[in-house]
Amino acid sequence: MIRIYVLLIGLLSAAMLQAQEVTISGTITDAESGETLIGATAAVPSVGLGTTSNPYGFYSLSVPANDSLTFVVSYVGFQPQQYSLYLTSDTTLNVKLGSGVQLDEVVVKANSFREQINSTEMSVEAISTREAKIIPVLLGESDILKTVQLKPGIPSGSEGRTGLFVRGGSADQNLIVLDEAVVYNANHLFGFFSTFNTDAVKDLKIYKGGFPAEYGGRLSSVIDVKLKEGNNQRLAGSGGIGLIASRLTLEGPIQKDKSSFIVSGRRTYVDLLTRQVNRANEDSEDFSPIPDYYFYDLNAKVNFTLSDKDRLFLSGYFGRDVFGFDGDFFDFNFDWGNATGTARWNHVFSPKLFANTTFTYSDYQYNIENRITGFSFGLGSNIEDINLKTDFYYAPNNNHSLRFGAMATRHFFTVGRLQAGSEDGLVSFSAGQNFTGLEFGAYVSDEITFSEALSVNAGLRFSGFSNDGNTYVGLEPRFAGRYKFTDRFAAKASYARMYQYMHLIANAGVTLPTDIWYPSTEQVAPQRSDQVALGGSYILSEDYFLNVEGYYKWLDRQLQFVDGAQIFVNDNLEEEFAVGEGRAYGLEVSIEKKQGRLTGWIGYTLARTQLENFETLDPNGRFAQESEGFGPFSPIYDRRHDVSVVSIYEISDRVTVSATWVYGSGDLTWLPPGRFSFQDVQGLPFEAVVPDFRERNNFRLPAYHRLDLSLVWKFFPDWGESDLTFSVVNAYDRRNAFFLFLEPEFEEVETGGQPIEVPTRIAANQVSLFPILPSITWNFKF
Amino acid sequence: MHILAKITCSLIVFSALLASCNLEQEVDIELPAYNDRPVVEFYLEPGQPFRALITRSDAYFDDLPSLENFPGGLLLEGAEVEVSYGGNTVRLNNQLFFNPQTGKLYNYIAEAIVPDQTGEEFELLITYPNGTVTTAQTTLLPKVQIDSVVVEYPDDLTDTLARALTYFTDPAETSNFYRRTLHLNTLDSLPEQDFIADDGIVDDNLVVFGTGFDFEEGDTLINTLYHISEEYATFLESIDAAAAANGNPFGQPSPIISNLQGNANAIGIFTGLVYDRRFDIVEGR
Repeated sequence: MIRIYVLLIGLLSAAMLQAQEVTISGTITDAESGETLIGATAAVPSVGLGTTSNPYGFYSLSVPANDSLTFVVSYVGFQPQQYSLYLTSDTTLNVKLGSGVQLDEVVVKANSFREQINSTEMSVEAISTREAKIIPVLLGESDILKTVQLKPGIPSGSEGRTGLFVRGGSADQNLIVLDEAVVYNANHLFGFFSTFNTDAVKDLKIYKGGFPAEYGGRLSSVIDVKLKEGNNQRLAGSGGIGLIASRLTLEGPIQKDKSSFIVSGRRTYVDLLTRQVNRANEDSEDFSPIPDYYFYDLNAKVNFTLSDKDRLFLSGYFGRDVFGFDGDFFDFNFDWGNATGTARWNHVFSPKLFANTTFTYSDYQYNIENRITGFSFGLGSNIEDINLKTDFYYAPNNNHSLRFGAMATRHFFTVGRLQAGSEDGLVSFSAGQNFTGLEFGAYVSDEITFSEALSVNAGLRFSGFSNDGNTYVGLEPRFAGRYKFTDRFAAKASYARMYQYMHLIANAGVTLPTDIWYPSTEQVAPQRSDQVALGGSYILSEDYFLNVEGYYKWLDRQLQFVDGAQIFVNDNLEEEFAVGEGRAYGLEVSIEKKQGRLTGWIGYTLARTQLENFETLDPNGRFAQESEGFGPFSPIYDRRHDVSVVSIYEISDRVTVSATWVYGSGDLTWLPPGRFSFQDVQGLPFEAVVPDFRERNNFRLPAYHRLDLSLVWKFFPDWGESDLTFSVVNAYDRRNAFFLFLEPEFEEVETGGQPIEVPTRIAANQVSLFPILPSITWNFKF
Repeated sequence: MHILAKITCSLIVFSALLASCNLEQEVDIELPAYNDRPVVEFYLEPGQPFRALITRSDAYFDDLPSLENFPGGLLLEGAEVEVSYGGNTVRLNNQLFFNPQTGKLYNYIAEAIVPDQTGEEFELLITYPNGTVTTAQTTLLPKVQIDSVVVEYPDDLTDTLARALTYFTDPAETSNFYRRTLHLNTLDSLPEQDFIADDGIVDDNLVVFGTGFDFEEGDTLINTLYHISEEYATFLESIDAAAAANGNPFGQPSPIISNLQGNANAIGIFTGLVYDRRFDIVEGR
């Protein structure tokens, strides 16, 4: 009885307190461009109240009514705005921040060290477009997705490695969204470049764990990329000319302050050179024409401020890689790429309630067309999504920040579509499977501030997938907590369960454009993971920030191909699957410096991943017997040690230099420990050395390390700004291993009057991809 | 821009020179431990004697047999080999035999002839000197005939090279696997084509295997169509995958998938060998 009485008193007090509060809300934008600012701080320091703007720039803060307050809005790289307020009712205050500190680009993730201490978020990495443009990647092309791989827990470097392997997850376990539309293959040129044009990107954030409840559908990471909205103040442009590609971005107001557009494109042009070479040599009989290769992508976005409470965004992406060869008797054309479209509506229902409703379309496909006189061959796969989702942000008071929402996606899968045959129709072959699936989810989460020291974000997601009468559902609890011991030190913990209803059918852990997305079916259950993480963040000084995290991840229902699997042109792929489980665990340490002329970070990861207990889905499958119960083994991307050192030094306003050094334990690879001879039947040659492969991934390649350097030299002409970026990738010309192969040397002997190739020596050879690679890029903006 | 263009051109040339650097080098590596095991090749060819080649695998970097001792150094001797079928048992003698017509070598052979009887079931039992055994079963499949070989020239009359289209009819009632080889002029040469196919993707029963425009008037085309078991197809594909993955970073390696059982951990194949072979001479336009 006494307890009930105390509770009632508490509720009454809370109600009275709330009655004395009003809400101030609005949108925080960059005064110069009109871009909304994500994660900007809105605070009343005198009473210790504060919040940050959401991914759409909206903030909502409950403050005492009938009191004189100093309201401060700040964001790293911008001049803080200060307002003296005396509020008697709910108020809308849209804030424009001007650049106080000169920064070249919008800072993508601007959490100050103190905000990182205060946040319940952990296992999150971000990179700024400024950093992405200074840190060199291959052939002078800046790449924000490649640069974020220099952060701990996302293994970087590795010769020819494509795909992201976050905290021991495979390449298909990353949810990559561009303006909330899923990007199924974020690679150009077999993974050496990403599909994201840094000029058009506003924000890139990667979650490695502690996933907020609004995200679902992948086990190991969420990579949330947001495109710029376009400058609604003036016409502006930027671009660059590099060794292999050029790019151009234009943005400007449609109606000043109300609406804007941005269009961005880039294209490689090595094919223009190779076509000239082919043309010059077309009469030479010994010359083999060089196939065409190029990639391009286009981003476009418009946004309209419909009213004080409504904004509409329309954006799209289209990218293709094209590889082609046209001959007299033989044509071969291979193209692949993504298309996405997003229509998004932001609505402010009240100062405490904000909604974002999104309709997205995604498509990834590859097509191979081959024609030989009289016969044609076509192979392709694609996945197409139509998605509708809505998210609400509700802040009843400063101790609670609720998010809730729901989504539904209709998936259309075409798996291994083959059409082949003669043009006269006499002969025809076909293969392929079509699936449809409905993925759905709903979630709620609450960021609860119990005290200055203790905050918790607790959430629950309900997800499901339905395909051909089979329905899977799952409950995904999410939790993240922070306890602040001092203003400089906070301990954090998180737990997340994730379900993944789609699977990438990939070869030996290597990501290729021809990889196939496959749905959960009656036989193929959804993947599941549980991840716990513990960590601590410590502000070492005003300049330095230390972050330490340990994680342990349980992976269930992992798919692998059985030994000898036939991936292409197979009407029953499930016969080739084996299902097992895995464990991944590790420790990540980073020290970061964000201020001063010298900035950068040092990251170190100690990690291990192991897969085991694989059972074949179809015990009567062609390859099932040998594969029954295989494992344990580690995937090729299991990397024990990973080090990144990134330093950017601003020598003057004109000159900035950077150096990046990465070190990683070598990848695992699968080498044959034995060999045998195979005679074969009449008419077929005697093979003296056939490899006998045994356990998977049984050999670790030599350690990988590399130093990249860059120098950015700026010019300030009348029309704007330009720079020359010189970069050297692999500065000390390290020969890192792309792969190893075992090569017998033969001698011919006569046996019974017949010549036979006899091996006399066997050598191991290492192949590298990149020697020292200098490049230059000219960039401009106006 | 003029200076920029010059710098860019210089860097392109410099990069091209660097790219031509030798990016392949020999390295010393130590492979995981390996236990050698028997390797069995036993093809039952109707009308031919029962014969088998049994060798032993080695660790990859183990000493290779000397040229003088080749192929004797590879052979696994002293095993007891017998095949049972239809109430008969054939014991093979451990005896080296080289067939100069086919260029093939056997170290276990019997005088008995493999019967030409479709559907006959055979059982293999091998007992090795260390007491371990290998067993296997197989069946003789029906022969599938090549219907026709059509030689075609391109429309352009100046082109002198022809291609060959080999047609056959796939039996509709069963799932079938094939091995197709094509030799030019002699079976002693390396095959122009050698691949495995199955009828899983054939829309109707007519199947065609094509070639490029590679053949001259007067060439002899030797087409062989083996009608093989699923197990033999799997074994051959696993050998292809194992060989292809060595040197291909995108390849999916495969252990050897055999149809052998027993505690000897042997690899290899015990299968019938039924084929149709025809010889066609390329005629002029």
